[in-house]
Amino acid sequence: MTTSAQQRGIARCTECGKLSHLPDLGDNSVASCPRCNVALSFRKPQSLQRSWAYTVAAIALLLPANILPILTVISFGQGDPDTIMSGVVKLWVSDLQAIAAIVFIASIAVPVLKLVILIILMLVVQLQLPLNRQQCTVLYRFIHFIGRWSMLDLFMISILVTLVHLGNIATVESGPAATAFAAVVVLTLLAANSFDPRLIWDLDDE
Amino acid sequence: MEGRCPRCKAVLWHSAKHTDTISFAAAISGLILFYPAITLPILKFSMVGQNGSNSLIGGIYRMWIEQEKMLAILILLCSLIAPLMHLLLTAVVCLSIRLNHFPPHFPQWLKYKCWMQSWSMLEVYAMGIIVAYVKMMHDGDVSVSGGTYCLCALLLCVILSSQYFYEEQAWQHWEQNKPA
Ligand SMILES: [Zn+2]
Repeated sequence: MTTSAQQRGIARCTECGKLSHLPDLGDNSVASCPRCNVALSFRKPQSLQRSWAYTVAAIALLLPANILPILTVISFGQGDPDTIMSGVVKLWVSDLQAIAAIVFIASIAVPVLKLVILIILMLVVQLQLPLNRQQCTVLYRFIHFIGRWSMLDLFMISILVTLVHLGNIATVESGPAATAFAAVVVLTLLAANSFDPRLIWDLDDE
Repeated sequence: MEGRCPRCKAVLWHSAKHTDTISFAAAISGLILFYPAITLPILKFSMVGQNGSNSLIGGIYRMWIEQEKMLAILILLCSLIAPLMHLLLTAVVCLSIRLNHFPPHFPQWLKYKCWMQSWSMLEVYAMGIIVAYVKMMHDGDVSVSGGTYCLCALLLCVILSSQYFYEEQAWQHWEQNKPA
């Protein structure tokens, strides 16, 4: 059984990483980091509330992001709007399986997986579920690492819209789902950032 | 030697003495490469005699005029402002440490550098170029242009300058040498 820094009254600054002794303060006073002057606390403040708020908002926006069209390729006046999923299917049937897999992972698997893992981690903390702490930490590191790759689709849209801009011959237009999807990506990034993985380990100390 | 967290096994501390020379050099090279990387055409596309091309900055501009303003701002942040500020602040921080001269805003610079680093997503943009290339392969002639090479070199600089930068060491250096 290890002793946590919190049990010894040591807090780590969220900005600069300096460890300092945090005295037992009243409700209204704040201690600040001796190195960089940021307010100190043992854990990220309101970590769970913030993560839940961002996660719920992201789930709500996941629906329009997947139902509405995200991209329309028009060549010679013809072209159907594509949703994220139909774009992947089109790539798959035109024998571009590798790219289809990359787009599927970045635009569908990553956001959904990220939200599912975040919900699991938050439930573990809130309901004190007896899941392996080490595995939960690995999951957290995983979503922290893969989150940014969801931006892939948005960058690709920006590239295609500019590249294929040939008047009557061929154009690419972005759809309303692009904005919704961008919001999902940003919200999941914020949700993962506001979650404090130390809360998982704190369960063992109680 | 290194110290690890007894619970989650994350590395907490290294005994090796680091040098930020590579980080500094990579940041300077990245800043030099920045202008060509964002303005030169990345891909060229031609279809029945008509040609089109795109650059990083052109892509953001087109999103903006096509009323995708939120998206344009997000792409501007992740692919242009964040990498640029990350390199600039890395160079400035390394220079301050080298000259042993710490302006009053040094702690803020160090914090902004970390924030910018977390929003810099050039490696994802590079993957976006590959996906766009393959996607349009069947519809017309796509070719890689100068901007892609500059962008790849820039990406290498961004990775090197963040890999060889040691934040804790920079903080400690400032703490020991800051003007009273
Ligand atoms: Zn601090």
